[in-house]
Formats: sequence, C-alpha cells, structure tokens
Amino acid sequence: MSHSILIVDDEDDIREVAALSLESIADWKVYVASSGAKGLALAIQHQPDAIVLDVMMPVMDGPATFRELQMNPKTAHIPVLLLTAKVQSSDQRRFADLGVKAVLFKPFDPLTLADQISSALGWD
Amino acid sequence: MEPAEQSALSQALDQLWARFLPQIEERVSILESAAAAFSANQLSPAEREAASAAAHKLAGVLGTFGLTRGTDLARELEIVYTGEGVPALSPHIAEITAELRDIIENRK
Repeated sequence: MSHSILIVDDEDDIREVAALSLESIADWKVYVASSGAKGLALAIQHQPDAIVLDVMMPVMDGPATFRELQMNPKTAHIPVLLLTAKVQSSDQRRFADLGVKAVLFKPFDPLTLADQISSALGWD
Repeated sequence: MEPAEQSALSQALDQLWARFLPQIEERVSILESAAAAFSANQLSPAEREAASAAAHKLAGVLGTFGLTRGTDLARELEIVYTGEGVPALSPHIAEITAELRDIIENRK
C-alpha cells in the first residue's frame, strides 16, 4: 500500500536523500519542507499519513513544531517521528517523552529508511 | 530490493553527493579554520559555535552517503566544540579534521 509522508528538515541534503529513498524504494508520495512553519502549512494542506521532523531547526525546532501540530485539530491525528543526529541517551529520552511515535537517527541508511518508518508506524 | 533498483538508487545518491559536495566541503573548511584557531589558542565563541554546527551537520549526513567513519569523526569534533567532554580529543583536533577532509575527498 502506498503512503504519503512529509519530511521537515532545514538541511537540503538530508531532505533530498530521504525523499529519494522513500520515493524510489517505497514508492511513497513525499512532501518536503525546509522549516517547521512550512511543514505545518504543508501538513494542513496535504494531510500526509505521517511526518518526519528534524529536531534541530532554526526558529521553530522539531519539538516546537510537534507541539504546534498536536494543537491544531487538522494535524493532531498525524503520527510524527523525530529525526536527530543527537546520540546521547538523555536527549533520546527527552525526545521520546514528547509523545512522538518514534525517534529516528541520523545518519540513516537510505536503503532501510522506509522499513524503519513502516515498522515504527505499524505499516508492515 | 532488486539489484537494478539498488544500482539506480546508488547512482542517484552519487548524483546527490556531487550536488551537495560544495556545501559539505564548506562545512569541512569551517572545521579546518576552527582547528587552526584552536591550535593557536585563538578560537572565538562564534567560531566554536560555527564549528559545532558544521560538525553536527556532517555527522548527520556523511553516513547517509556511506561514509560512516566520516560521521564518527564529525561526531568527535562536535563533542569537542560543544564542550560536552572528551578533553583527551582536543590535541587531536587537527588530525581528526584532516582525516575527515581526506575521507570526503576520496569518496568513490
């Protein structure tokens, strides 16, 4: 079954690799946004099946964007996964405690990214 | 995944690597400048912050292009520049940065 997903990351190289991976391997429809604010707008407009949010972004970071998504009735139902390059366990716990579906780690393997997301969301 | 699909993805990743190489090299340049300033005991807070951000971004992306050693090295530099510990690494900043440059320039 094909899914749609929104990738929100201020780093264009990460966005492009993730989009390439999910489109070519999983055949998902991928939307991309370079900021939390743009991601929020795209989420409202396209209603993706899931959102992958980078943690460290300027202005509105991943956790702040997640809170905005949760507060908006048009996006509160969309499952969110955080994407982070932070490897310290205290950070991981803090992110997991936010209530996101899963925390994914950079660098990700483009060959297995779709599997990681599917597994976290029960799409298997 | 079929071998043909894997090959197509690999080629597409190579194209993305070529496209983003200038910005990846720019991040390494920031780290090289910071390493030089650190050696001269002249690293400013702004340079340290820029180096930390550059190292963080490199750590996040290099492994995605298959350069796991590059991610490890960038992560070590991020730890040094954010002041999160491992002072034993500090004398090796220039060495680590040089290896990082080498890995990036020699990606096949």
